[in-house]
Amino acid sequence: MKPAAFDYHAPVDLDEAVGLLGELGEDAKVIAGGQSLVPMLALRLAAVDHLVDLRRVGELRGIEVRDGALWIGAGMTQAAVERSAEVAEAVPLLARATRLIGHFQIRNRGTIGGSIAHADAAAEYPAVALALDAEFEACSPRGRRTLPAREFFTGWWSTALDPDEVLTGISFPRRAGRSGFAIEELARRHGDFAIAGAAVALELDDGERVRRCGIGLFGLGSSVQRAAAAEEALAGAVAADVRPDEIGRTAMTGLDSIPSDLHGPPEYRKRVGAAMVARAWTKALQEARNG
Amino acid sequence: MTAAARYAGTRVQRVEDTRLLTGRGVFVDDVVRPGMLHAHFVRSPMARGRIRSIDASAALALDGVHAVYTAEDLNPGVREHWYSLIGRNVPDTPRPPLAEGEVRFVGDPVALVVAVDRYVAEDAAELVVVDYEPLTPVVSYVSATESEELVHEAYPRNVAGTLGGRPAEDLAGTFAGAAYDVQETIHQQAYSAVPMETRGLIAEYSAPTREMTIWASTQSPHEVRLFCSRLLGLPEHHVRVVMRDTGGGFGQKAVPQREDMCVMLAALRLPVALKWIEDRQENLSSAGQGRHEHGAARMAFDDDGRILAAAIEHVQDAGAYPVPWPVQTAMVVGLLFPGPYRVPEATFTCTSVFSNTNARAAYRGPWQFETLSREMLLDIAARRMGMDPIELRRKNLLRRDEMPVANPNGMPYDDVTPLETFEHALDLLDYEAFRAEQERARAEGRYLGVGTSTYIEPTTTGMGFLGTEGATIRIEPSGKVNVYVAGGSSGNSLETTVVQLTADALGVDMADVSTIQGDTAITPFGGGTGGSRSGSMIAGAVAETASVLRERLLAIAAHRLEAAVEDLELVGGQAVVRGTPGSGISVAEIADLAYFDTGKLPPGVPPGLEASGRHKGQAPMIWANATHVCTCEVDVETGMVTLLRYIVSEDCGPMINPNVVEGQIAGGTVQGIGGALFEQGVYDEDGNPLTTTFVDYLLPTSTEVPTIEYGHVETPGPGPGGYKGVGEGGAIGAPPAVVNAVADALAPFGVTLTRLPVTPASVVALVQAARDGGPA
Amino acid sequence: MADTDVRMTVNGMVRRGTVPARLTLADHLRQNCGLTGTHLGCEHGACGACTVLVDGEAVRSCLVFAVQADDTEITTIEGIASADGRLSTVQSAFRDHHGLQCGFCTPGFVISVTAFLRDNPDPSDEEIREALSGNLCRCTGYQGIFQAVRAAAESLRAGSPAPEAVVPAPPDS
Repeated sequence: MKPAAFDYHAPVDLDEAVGLLGELGEDAKVIAGGQSLVPMLALRLAAVDHLVDLRRVGELRGIEVRDGALWIGAGMTQAAVERSAEVAEAVPLLARATRLIGHFQIRNRGTIGGSIAHADAAAEYPAVALALDAEFEACSPRGRRTLPAREFFTGWWSTALDPDEVLTGISFPRRAGRSGFAIEELARRHGDFAIAGAAVALELDDGERVRRCGIGLFGLGSSVQRAAAAEEALAGAVAADVRPDEIGRTAMTGLDSIPSDLHGPPEYRKRVGAAMVARAWTKALQEARNG
Repeated sequence: MTAAARYAGTRVQRVEDTRLLTGRGVFVDDVVRPGMLHAHFVRSPMARGRIRSIDASAALALDGVHAVYTAEDLNPGVREHWYSLIGRNVPDTPRPPLAEGEVRFVGDPVALVVAVDRYVAEDAAELVVVDYEPLTPVVSYVSATESEELVHEAYPRNVAGTLGGRPAEDLAGTFAGAAYDVQETIHQQAYSAVPMETRGLIAEYSAPTREMTIWASTQSPHEVRLFCSRLLGLPEHHVRVVMRDTGGGFGQKAVPQREDMCVMLAALRLPVALKWIEDRQENLSSAGQGRHEHGAARMAFDDDGRILAAAIEHVQDAGAYPVPWPVQTAMVVGLLFPGPYRVPEATFTCTSVFSNTNARAAYRGPWQFETLSREMLLDIAARRMGMDPIELRRKNLLRRDEMPVANPNGMPYDDVTPLETFEHALDLLDYEAFRAEQERARAEGRYLGVGTSTYIEPTTTGMGFLGTEGATIRIEPSGKVNVYVAGGSSGNSLETTVVQLTADALGVDMADVSTIQGDTAITPFGGGTGGSRSGSMIAGAVAETASVLRERLLAIAAHRLEAAVEDLELVGGQAVVRGTPGSGISVAEIADLAYFDTGKLPPGVPPGLEASGRHKGQAPMIWANATHVCTCEVDVETGMVTLLRYIVSEDCGPMINPNVVEGQIAGGTVQGIGGALFEQGVYDEDGNPLTTTFVDYLLPTSTEVPTIEYGHVETPGPGPGGYKGVGEGGAIGAPPAVVNAVADALAPFGVTLTRLPVTPASVVALVQAARDGGPA
Repeated sequence: MADTDVRMTVNGMVRRGTVPARLTLADHLRQNCGLTGTHLGCEHGACGACTVLVDGEAVRSCLVFAVQADDTEITTIEGIASADGRLSTVQSAFRDHHGLQCGFCTPGFVISVTAFLRDNPDPSDEEIREALSGNLCRCTGYQGIFQAVRAAAESLRAGSPAPEAVVPAPPDS
């Protein structure tokens, strides 16, 4: 099980990186931690002529407050996110999600940017980014731009990034107000991709009403997605009146591309998804009330 | 004249561990030979097809490619391909090295690429163009007997063979007249040995001397040697097979398979060594699988729940090219279906059916379906009879004081303790307390369950290829000891076992004993690891051989000390007069005399301290038994099963090393848990395998496995030291214990569980179906 | 496809090489550095047998290309025992608690556990199980491994070396 041959490039800064990508075009692929890409190359499910390694690009590193949000460089490893006190404090949902990603050896190399750009429909980070309305910064030979999470995930392993564009950082809104967060997933074994999962970011107003509730679903479609119907039903609702199982069921409405695989048919995934939304809602509400 | 055992029975540290913990083990992929070339197989992408043509020209044009062999090149070189393990006189199933004319499963080897390294070999394999004419595959063995398509033309209805017991009509009256006639068809999925080290070998041929040297990942170097010698027509002593460390086998590496044949055949044509290391995808799609089978299990009971008769119609998937011959092993399922219970009458049929899938290969307790189907049926029967499954078993389990007793199929049980291990395991659990806890949990809407399984298994056969084991012991001139046995390290601690037993037998320190194993050029013949035989057989071989040396050591010592042989003992590396410490002569001094001062040896005592001996199994098999008890909680919303407690009470006789015994039990048990809940070899309707990576084929990890608690009941068997086998039992007992626990948890829903694996989705579907079908 | 020069410090020794870009770090260590203790169990990042420390962090060496490890410090299983052959606390604990059988997966476990206990010296049982879940073992059922990690954590916290062997290993092993 050995990958096919390719050429390797390790640009030292972002300009060089996007320059290379522009020049090499479709024949090139970015590698960050490589924890998803290398297995595909080894299995020869993917082949590339050029790998552009971002390991030397310093601009992709850092965790800091920028414009009121917590900015995390796309090149930060999941382990660095996991260990960051700032992340735990300002974006607790992200910290909690990180522990569910693979195993610690994977998190030692896997990056937050890689996870989001790879856009696996069952991955935690994309769902968290959705639930929190995070913003993604990208850079290409044409310049820099910002993309809202909502517009980023476009289908099976595909995103709004252009082929010569590099994800450089993600900005997460910092925790504020009476808020609670939870991520729940069901996986056959610890560290496996989830059969289904939900990330809930909840903010209550002083009247115990839902000010904002973002629900990111994963494992329930061709890409991660917001539970639009549930979010709508929750907006302005009195939290105490919300029945968790009902919100779970509502969250499953309108999902039209639930995968069917070895772990079960779509109906099963839907059932699990509803349970995960209900459980995450309950936990998030508890935290919001206590917090 | 046995010295007091100093090491046997104790938890000594393993002598293998230091090298394995420091990266100094030698697995086959660690061996590098001068100029060595690397092999990679071109494999069939379809389940069944006719090979129209193979064009290797582009592959051969690639820099670094040495050769591309096809069936035309290699297959005519085959002289014989039978296994010593099974013998030549069976109607063996086809075993071509490379696919000839037709491909019969996805992964069927079609061509062998030889290149300078594995990367290039894989590049070249992609360039080999094979033109196939697709044929309709026989994907499901269940419907294969009705299919118009044949996996092998010579086998009508795709049946490889059927064996059976008494005519079923004999028992018709008993079933008809019984208070309860309980039947259920139980299905087990395909799952596999999955050793962490895949298969692999290096073959290096010297044409001028007609000598073949093979480095192999194997459970049986001597089987590989014999097989290679017959395959290539080389004299046995011109073939040398070497293995230091093998990364697990569990049956998959018991005998050489088709890829091994290809590499041996190809090596004849090459001036340098050829290495093949299987990759994980190949291992999961082509190395053979186990278990895939179903059986209509049936038992008759009287009013009180006493078993009156047992019958099973068993059908197993043989795959395309089974290894070894599957028909004989299938029959063991039928023979042992009555298990450790008092069963007056029984019958069975066992049928092996070909399919266009991965081969059936030996896997740890190959007949375990007898235990799975029986123990699941007993729980189903108890529920139908309104009886506690524990009570049902208590009424029927055999006790130690009933031994010997033959089961109704003629299996001569002896020295076993089914009821005793059963009660012991339930005590460890505190069954009553668990039932009370279960009751409380149910009131809260939580579903706990308990399952048991009790089995009796044949170990350490005294017959055929596996029926003997030899040892050579050399006390070297310095007094240090080397022991040579066939062995080889494949995880079951044979080196430690040999060193422990030899140190005891000669009264020396373990530190003064080393063992040399896994090289056919220097070790005595032995059948290898399989059939839970190694502990008992090696104990016999060491005892047989050491007794000769003990006698010689004592004769020399008696002569030197002017004492009577009867007054001497060997202890602490000395021959001493009993009760007179400090009176002795050391083994080192005796060795010095034996090699360098032979004039001082007593008359009639030969020089040197070297002996060879061979143990022959005294009984046709040594029976072992155990009870597994498992508790679990089932989340009926998601179907997730969490195992809570896991208890094994086993009787393998006295333990040579309790750590090793418990390690074997734990390892087998977790493989069985994998089979019950996680592992599954899946094919789509076209016969494409869907579980060829570790992302899809789910091995249990540390987070899914509970703490295993052990109970030991010790009843000596008929072999040396009373030791019995323990290698396979864990994998036999675990699946039904787990499944029964889940079924017990779901009992309030009126669910009947008959299919493995128990996946979360299947649990939800069962509960849903039961709910839809009305109240339980 | 041009080969690339790489330089890394492996178990304290500088190793240079010229490698094709597609050569994995695992293959580089095994084939070019002669360090065959790093084992390949799946080559797709799922079994953990090939785990090594790269700049102190446990990573799967089958999921890193050698070129990506240029200018790093690597520790393999061969570099865990002290130079005079004394086993580390983690290695001793595996031996004492029958944490290995065939030994194929063992190097990956030892490396992973070494890093884990360095970062989390007082783990709960649940944390231990979670930390072990990235390494597959087919022989032990994880029972001895779990006990070994618990014991190693205790020894490390107590600052005491691992207990002496009951039976000294033969000198040639």
